Amino acid sequence: MKVSFNELQGLSRKAFIGIGFAEGHADDAADMVTWMESYDLHGLEALNLGLEHLIGEDPDTYPEILYQDSDLAVVDGHNLSVLRACNLALELAFAKARSRGLSVIKIRRCRQRQLIMGYLARLSARGMNVTAFWRNAQSPLTEQVVGFRANSTVPSIRVYAVEEVPEENEPNDGITLFMANHVDLLPTMRSDFKYDLLAKHDESELLAVRERAMTSGIEVSGELWLRLKELAQYALVESFDASRLGAGPAE
Amino acid sequence: MIDAVLQAARVAPALRQQSLVMDLERLGTLVPSRLSFARSLIRQMARQRWQITQEYFALDDGGYGEVIYRVQTPHGRYHVVIFSQHITDEERTDRVIANAWDVTFGLVEGDVEDSLFTTLAENVPLQEAGRQHPRLLVISRANKSLRNFEVFVQALAAGKQPPVQAIREVGYLYRTTAVYGNGKFGIADYGRLQGNPDFRYPFSAQMTAVYVLRQFSIDQAEHLARVAAPETAVPLANKLQRYLGIGNSTGLGMAPFLIRHPQLINQWIHAREQALATAKAQIPSELSRERLLALCLRAQRYLDETSVENTAQAERNATVVEELTDIIPWLEQIALHETLWQQLTDWSEAAQTTDTQELLNTLLIELYPESVDMLEDAMAVEEKLELIPDMPLVQLKQVIETQFDWALSEDFEAPEAKHWFWYQSVEKEEPRLGVRGVDPGENKELPLAIAPRVQRSYAALTEFLQGNPKALTIDFLLAQPKHMESIRRIQTMATTAYGEIQGNLWHRDMKPMHLLRAKLSFLGANRFDPRGDRWVRVTFFQGAPLIDELNGEPTDLFAFDDWSYALAPTDLKVGEDFDTVENHESLV
Repeated sequence: MKVSFNELQGLSRKAFIGIGFAEGHADDAADMVTWMESYDLHGLEALNLGLEHLIGEDPDTYPEILYQDSDLAVVDGHNLSVLRACNLALELAFAKARSRGLSVIKIRRCRQRQLIMGYLARLSARGMNVTAFWRNAQSPLTEQVVGFRANSTVPSIRVYAVEEVPEENEPNDGITLFMANHVDLLPTMRSDFKYDLLAKHDESELLAVRERAMTSGIEVSGELWLRLKELAQYALVESFDASRLGAGPAE
Repeated sequence: MIDAVLQAARVAPALRQQSLVMDLERLGTLVPSRLSFARSLIRQMARQRWQITQEYFALDDGGYGEVIYRVQTPHGRYHVVIFSQHITDEERTDRVIANAWDVTFGLVEGDVEDSLFTTLAENVPLQEAGRQHPRLLVISRANKSLRNFEVFVQALAAGKQPPVQAIREVGYLYRTTAVYGNGKFGIADYGRLQGNPDFRYPFSAQMTAVYVLRQFSIDQAEHLARVAAPETAVPLANKLQRYLGIGNSTGLGMAPFLIRHPQLINQWIHAREQALATAKAQIPSELSRERLLALCLRAQRYLDETSVENTAQAERNATVVEELTDIIPWLEQIALHETLWQQLTDWSEAAQTTDTQELLNTLLIELYPESVDMLEDAMAVEEKLELIPDMPLVQLKQVIETQFDWALSEDFEAPEAKHWFWYQSVEKEEPRLGVRGVDPGENKELPLAIAPRVQRSYAALTEFLQGNPKALTIDFLLAQPKHMESIRRIQTMATTAYGEIQGNLWHRDMKPMHLLRAKLSFLGANRFDPRGDRWVRVTFFQGAPLIDELNGEPTDLFAFDDWSYALAPTDLKVGEDFDTVENHESLV
């Protein structure tokens, strides 16, 4: 079924509140999912895949700072979705970059990492150059780089498979973020080692996709839509004769 | 950004104080001005030579069926598609929980091909329960004023005009009960309109649909009169058509909008205050004084003629009529002085009710279209609350103390200060009020009351500061993430002159009506007739030029725009008007 951007954003927000997200965090999560989907970057697919895990997360658990200095921070995402937890970690990176010109933040142990792009778009719109890097532990190993030019809400994205990787056993469940006040950090493929470019999205192509979504609506599976509606119901109050008076007497 | 916060804290001296303007009760006395969206739309239509024509008319003898109007602008073509159906009296309710309406309609971008028409016919009458097409910019529904409709059709069928008194008592034949835009139920997103020069003002697409519905109400009544008595039926007199508006019934559903769009509200109020400051700074001339006197007399007569059922509102209207009686001789007699407008508003502020003060302000704004109308370009904004994570926490504390003192001063220990809570019902998500500690649903409260949230965040950050005197905002939020929304709202809104409504929405004595009226006045509604303190009936476009006048491409745009405070036609005899051939000269 086709839905509008605003409709998807609104229902997602209500669903996140139904799940237990605090006000504001629910808005951010909904914005992140809808932003992804409006660029056809599979935001709903990512949400759907991790939805049951998200529902099971403790709503009172938030990311924790493991280490920080003026330029760097390492954050433990506690195996939570980036939807629940990463907006403030990203704001920390933003604050450090504003202060120091460039910041690096490593968020360890987080889920649904694709969805972080929506919040990065928000930070770039506030004048920050932003690049995010993460690895997926598949075979072959893939890496993804997402870069936003300052004041642009559209990213450049590169996904590629790498082969010549030294042996190591670190889990690939984190994200590394670079933010810079003045320097453009867009991804450009340049390597002496072998890689296969799997996906490449540039700004102009993504803008056209977005335009189509705004004109024709966004495709959502009926099943997911119903699930979101079910979750949204948790934020609503049962109705009965007396409660109707809460909207004023009948005319 | 931090500098901007501090800069904005110093409100420009020409503008009125935030604490005065944003007081909830004062907002509840606002009336439409020339910057209201209904007025802006009519000006734009005339300036750009919009043409609105009936393209398809298929109503049966009961007035049921479909009608399509075409709206042609210099930039595009649109259609208002209207579906009229029979409903029972039991089904007819203005509340959002209704499932059937006398008419449903939508504004479509582009042409209405057969396939699109079929889709619209299947879904528009269902409203929220339908899956609406993305080329619909607006969907809405309306119910008949049964009282007026019957009187109008019978009179016209008998070859007579309906009594003016019928419009004085109910200013319309139809009242809308919701007008949806911005992606609701699958229709086009607001983002689609942002680059569209036809609908760049807030709510202009919605206002266009409502304006066309007014014409439909006339066309349908005339059609039914012709069906009832083809030999004797006459069209509705032009003067009565002009005097007829389109009603609207609004409930609590409108209230959350004002709280959730503080930056938009800031734009609206700021534009109005800039207009007022601009008007008051003008040097009065004999001509402008005469114009203000004429407007005062017109507003006075309008309020005197308008009958409303709500006793308290009728008394308020009567008081304004009386107080305008004091203004008129004062204005006639006083010597012209360059500070005359300031003197006038100072005196009104000291001696008159808020209703009269704000009406007078609106009339002053009316005097200077050439200086004021450009402000309508500043009415739209993208709503985006943003955090300033690197703001020192101690500075944030100061911002709250200076900019949100109104929120800190409320004593939430007092039972009356936390009497109500807001929630959304499962019934079509209708916003409702419950009594705290009594009604179920408190655990699902809508966070619409800003003052208690500010207080909670202020208390938490003050405590955090004691152990972390050099902390930044982000340090506090990483420790206590639940305050994020409150803090970014505070930081964003501290950069604005207006926007936060200074009232406690939990308080036992809080009147939601004030919120509704504030928004409705900016839309252009008048003739406020509250049903209790949670419902209000209003009228749009009463006195506005007719579609035929618009299609005639008016040359005197000032006269075309001068339709506020519509007066009852005086040269009609009640019940017997225009029943002779000679009197038909002004008929369509």
